[in-house]
Formats: sequence, structure tokens, C-alpha cells
Amino acid sequence: MNILLLLIPISLLFLAGAVWAFFWAVNHDQFDDLDTPGLLPLGDSDKREEPRP
Amino acid sequence: MCCQGCRAAAEWIEQLGLAGYYDLRTAPAPKPTDQDHDSWRNADSARHVIRDLGAGRRETLLLIDGVRCTACVWLIERALGAMPGVVSVQVNAVARRARVIWQESKVTLPQLLQTLSRAGYGALPLDARGLDDLRRNESRDALKRLLVAGFGAMQAMMYATAIYLGAVETLDATTLELLRWLGLLVATPVVLYSARPFFAGALRSLKAGRVGMDVPVALAIFAVYAASLLEAVRGTGEVYFDSVSMFVFFLLAGRFLEMRARHHARDLTDAFASLTPPFADRELDDGTLQRVGIHELRVGDRVRVAEGGIVPADGVLLTERCRVDEALLSGESAPVTKRRAELLIAGSVLEDGPVLIRIERVGADTALAGIAALVGRAHAERPRLQVAGELAAARFVARVLTLTALTAAVWTVIDPSRAFAAAVAVLVISCPCAFALAVPAALTRALGALARRRVLVVKPDAIQALAECTHALFDKTGTLTETSLSLADIQTFNGVGREEALGLAATLARESRHPVARAISTAHPGMSGVAVSEVATHAGLGVSARVEGRALRLGRGDFAIHGATLAVEYDDAVLLADDKGPIAAFRVGERLRADACAAIAALQAQGVTVLIASGDAESRVSSVAARLNVDAWRARALPADKLAWLTELRAGGARVLAVGDGVNDAPVLAGADVAIALAEGAELTQASSDIVLAGGRLDVIAPARAIAQRTLAIVRQNQRWALFYNLSAVPLAALGFIPPWLAALGMSLSSLGVILNALRIGRDDTVQRATQSRSSPAAACPRPAS
Repeated sequence: MNILLLLIPISLLFLAGAVWAFFWAVNHDQFDDLDTPGLLPLGDSDKREEPRP
Repeated sequence: MCCQGCRAAAEWIEQLGLAGYYDLRTAPAPKPTDQDHDSWRNADSARHVIRDLGAGRRETLLLIDGVRCTACVWLIERALGAMPGVVSVQVNAVARRARVIWQESKVTLPQLLQTLSRAGYGALPLDARGLDDLRRNESRDALKRLLVAGFGAMQAMMYATAIYLGAVETLDATTLELLRWLGLLVATPVVLYSARPFFAGALRSLKAGRVGMDVPVALAIFAVYAASLLEAVRGTGEVYFDSVSMFVFFLLAGRFLEMRARHHARDLTDAFASLTPPFADRELDDGTLQRVGIHELRVGDRVRVAEGGIVPADGVLLTERCRVDEALLSGESAPVTKRRAELLIAGSVLEDGPVLIRIERVGADTALAGIAALVGRAHAERPRLQVAGELAAARFVARVLTLTALTAAVWTVIDPSRAFAAAVAVLVISCPCAFALAVPAALTRALGALARRRVLVVKPDAIQALAECTHALFDKTGTLTETSLSLADIQTFNGVGREEALGLAATLARESRHPVARAISTAHPGMSGVAVSEVATHAGLGVSARVEGRALRLGRGDFAIHGATLAVEYDDAVLLADDKGPIAAFRVGERLRADACAAIAALQAQGVTVLIASGDAESRVSSVAARLNVDAWRARALPADKLAWLTELRAGGARVLAVGDGVNDAPVLAGADVAIALAEGAELTQASSDIVLAGGRLDVIAPARAIAQRTLAIVRQNQRWALFYNLSAVPLAALGFIPPWLAALGMSLSSLGVILNALRIGRDDTVQRATQSRSSPAAACPRPAS
């Protein structure tokens, strides 16, 4: 059972990491709009041209 | 390409390298309406909608019209993002809003609006106060709390499982101790962080002197946590960190979903803002026009409205006569003729013009604002089911608390050392695991089954109301009948053939986009290979042209036959005439939806009383009602009349289902027990409806009701099972007969049973039964007489 002493702290670290990552994502607008960004990769993004005057 | 405008837009999109739009879009976009963007140069108007971010940066929130599919979002972001000086563009497709930040030195608001307009979208800058981050913060906060509770619950459950298993096999005391402390470690953030809204809510309601829903919840959380903490410190008895975390998680999940629905509903109600124009042309004493923001209008001002323009505020007509489309108030598509001194209402569209009106009511006093207020009030009155549910939950928790206290009291008399453990055992084993799953499992399954049939449930409460409804109140125009008009009758004069008359009329009608003209040109492709010249459309009157040298006019009677008098019976007909006299008279009428008969027959077969309430004329409503064989109908009903009828029905004990599609239905839909909107109807109705029929088909209502009833039956079975489980488990647990691992096993199996039972909803046998009951009476439906 001594392996628990190693595995449990590791799992807790993972947990803390997951919570931190999620908070970061929420604070960086990742969950504000769940519908729109799914489309963005569909366009070829690097072909942006300057509009004609 | 339907017109020059589309071609120009397509070329412009191509030039910008945005042709991907056409690959992505799934629905054609509407034509943009011409808007006056330059008025936003006026600093006074702009001040309300622009926020200064400093360093020359400006921010505004635009409500964008005509976002049909998500491809639009892509186009808007690209089109605006490609402009020099635009710092960032964020489009939210669901809320139909764009948040734009730009450098004021390089680009102006009118230019932004102009660009959007060229791409095909009408945009309305919203009040800058809408920019505040209150809502965003609320939703982010809720999400974080939910996640912490979810993670905490998972971990606590894991340690708890180890403890339960340890009761079967042998686990040494030190490991047991460690697992208890770990449970405490993961449950503490859940209670102290995630559950804070419950504690805050409980405190608030206690301060206000009443016992709200949050009080028993907060008490339960606190009691279980404190008890487990005490046990962990003492190192004896059971800990219940898993239960308390799960409890918090389930409650938060419910509240999160409710918050999302609330935000979504508020987005849509803002659509009222786009029904009136932001500007009006005020006529000064010297006859010149001054463009002013709509909030600057005062009672008594004289305002000019151009043809096709929208009336900015309620006012009386100062010019001789005009025709307006009051679909907003009456829901009927046919324009109404107004004469001098009659009242025009804000939001109605002028069919011919220009006209001059004197403003009588502005702002919150207008009829439009009245409709908005009706919707708002009906919304405020709505959440009865929700309140009932919360009350039931509060009662359940209160009973559990009483039982816990009772258990503690009894055990104190018998054996004080076991009092605390037994009390907590009751509190936890009754912690409504199966109860919590009984309703959501069935509802989630039902929502999925309905969505597959293109019935979208906006408010989950609606499933119960749909299953229980006894009356169905239909709107007529656009709901039972199709929105476009169709040719109903042709009458020819002087022995002209029907085919010839229709051919000539269609040749002229092709030139006009008026709904009546479209009805005629749909009925016949028009003559081919004939010389058509001197085509002219006369707004509000008709079309004139020379066909094979013959001067023809198609339109209103007095226009078509030029001054000659005509029998009164042709007042409402469209006439085709040449210089010698009338050739034919056409009458257009509404066409019943193909599935209206079947849908109503199926509802009646389920025992639902079907009613029609319409703002239309009595003769038209009665003929539709007779053809559909409905139980009762009312004509010439304004929204207030419909609402009154609805209230009357409900006072008589009926549960009413309202089906509609127009803006005028919004108060009725909001006031009904359950409201269904057709998705092709005005979007605003969807805002106040509980269910949306995305396929625009009426015959899914009856099967949807069958599914709803099945769902309710299964929810009841689940609840009975949960009650049975709790009633048998709680006393045994209170008496100390059930070891923890058995309780855990029993709880999981009971939850599993609830979920498996819910999976029976929406399986094909339910639907087949509904389809069978639909097909036979549909065949008996009379053919429309025409």
C-alpha cells in the first residue's frame, strides 16, 4: 500500500494542474462563445488581402 | 444572381478573397435594407453607443440582422477584420452580436456599418451600457464553480470507493485515516468555493426574513461537511465528503443550465430594439428636414416617413392617405389603408409614401413598447413550474432535516454515542441521488428524441406542460396557412380565355416584387416570345407595360381602368385592363399548409381541443376553421383579445398550448402554458416560445406530445422508484443495519435503473403509435373548396 503515498500526491498534482488549466481557459475567453470558433479553421486564413479602397 | 445588388456583393466578396462564404453557407441571406449610416456621424447620437477605450480606441456592440447560419459569422469577421484600423471583431452567432474595437483615426462607425451593409447585413449599434461585463463575469464564475465541484466530486468519490471496498477486504487503520483526510482535502474547495452561492443566497433570504430554497440546501451542505470533518478529526465513524461534493455538483449543474437559458432568452428579446429605426426626419417650421435620433422626438413633432420606411413613433397621419403594413400589431400580411387623422403605430412599414405624421406617443408609451411590456410581463409570470419544483425540493430537504433531527433525538435517548453517526447516515443516504437523476435523465433523453424530429425544446419545463395540455390555440396566418399568398380565383370579362388572361397578367406581374404580383407570377410562367416594352411599376398601385403593342395595366381597380367606375365587389381584387376596359379580375388567398389538416386531426385524436384565434377578417377565419374542423375560433382578435381568451380558458382549468409565428403572437405565446413557434416565423416569437419547430412542419406536434407524455410517465416511474428506494433504505440506515458498501451498491444500482428506464423514451414504438393515430383521420379531412 506504500505505493499510494506516491500515486495519490501525483493524482493531486494532476488535479491541481487541470483546475489551473481550466481557470486559465475560462479567463482567456475560451468558453464565452462555443458556437462561432468551430468555423474559423474552415477558411484559409493566410490569404487575407487588403480591401480595395 | 437575383439582382444587380447580389452580383455586386458577390463580386466584392470575391475581390476580398472571401469566396469561401459560398462554400460555407447553408442558407441564402436576405437582401439588406438601405440604412442611413451617415447619421451616426452626429456626435450626440453616437455618444450613446460608443465606448471610449482611451488611446483613440473605440468599442461598440452591434446587433446584426440577418445572421442566418454560422457562415455569416465568418463573413462578418473577415469583412470587418480586413478594414484598416479595426483592432478586433468578435461575433457571437447565437446572440447575433458583434463586439468591435477600432482606431478612431483610421475608420469611423458609419464606415463599419457601410461595410456590413455591403456584405448584406443590417447592423444596429446597441446602447453602450450593453458592453458591461456583468453577464460575462456571471457565466465565467458559474463555469469555474461547476468545474471545481465536478473535479472535487470525482476525487472524493474515488477515495470513498476505496473506503467502501476497505470495508469488504481489510484496510489498515492508517490508510483509512489517510483516505479520510484526502476526502477532506478535495471536498473543502467544493464547499468553501463552489457552494458559496448557496450560502450567500441562504444568508440573503434569512436577512429578508423568509426561508428560501437555499436555506435547507446550505444547511444540508454545512451539516454533512461539518459532521464529516468532525469524524475525520476524531478518526471514527463514516465520512461523507463524496456525498456533499456530488450534492453541490448536481445543484450547480442545474443552476448553470438555467442561467444559460436565461441569458439566451434576454439576447433574443433585444430584437425589439431593431423594430424601430434609430433616426427620424423631423420637419421644422420652415419646411426643411432635420435628422434626429429617435430618443429626441417629442409629442407634437412633425415627422416625414419615406416609402418603405418604418414609422418611428405612434402618430396621426397628416397627409391624405397611405397604406401601411401593420404585421407587427395584427400579424396579418395584407397592408392596411390609413386616411388623414388616423393613427399610425411605431414599427409598421409604409407601403407607399412619403407621408407626414404628427407624433402622439413616444418611447415607452407606443403600442410597440406595449407589446414588449406584455411579453416581459408574461415572462415574469411564467416560472410556475420552476417555483413548484423548487418548493418540492425544499420540502423534500426540509423533511429530511426533520427526519435527521428526529433520528438524532431518538438515538440520544437510546445510545448517545451512535446518535450523530445515525443522523448523518440519514442525511446522506437520503441525499437524492436517484431523485436528482430521475428528472434530468428522462428530460435529457426526451430533448434528444425531440430534437431528432426537429422539435427544439427551449425550456425543459415545456415537456411537462406539453404532455398535460388540454387545448391547442393556433394562430391562423403563417401558422395554419402559408406566409406567401396564392392565386385563388380568376374572373374574366368579355369572353377572354382564362389562360390568356393569366398569361398576360403573369407577364406584367413578373416585373413587380409585390406579394400579390408574386402570387400571380407563381401561378403562370408568363408569355414567352412576346415584345414587352415601357414597363413601369407604380408603387402601391400596380404595373403597367406594353405587350405586343397593347397598353396593359395590372393592379388596383382604380389604377387599372383609369377613372372608370367599377362595381364595389372588385374592391379587393387585382384587375388586368387595357385601354378598352377590364380583361380579368384576380383574387389571391391564403393556402393552407399541407400538413395543417393532419396535424389538427392528430391532436384531436389525442383528445386535445383545437382552437383558432386570428386577427384576420371573420369570413377568412371561418372558412379555414370549417376546413380544418376545429372546435372553436375567434376572428379580428388583437393580441390583447387573444391573451384575454387564453386567460379565460386557463381560468376554466384548461392547460393551453399556443402555436404561432408572428410578432403579434409574442404576448399570447408567452402567456400560454406551453408555446410552440415555427422557426421560419419572426425570431422574436421564438424568444417567448418554449418549443421551436425547426422543420416548419405542424404534423410533428402530436408525436412530440406523445413523447412528452411518455417522458412524464417515465419521470413518475423514476420518482416512485427513488421514493421506494429512499423509503426502504433510510429507515434501515437510520437503524444502522446497512453497511456503507451495501448502501453504495444500492445507490449505484438504483441510479442505473433510473437511467436505463429513461433510455426507453423516444424509441420507435412510441412514435409509430402517434403516426398511426395521425394517418387515419387525416384521410377524412375535406379537400379545400376552391
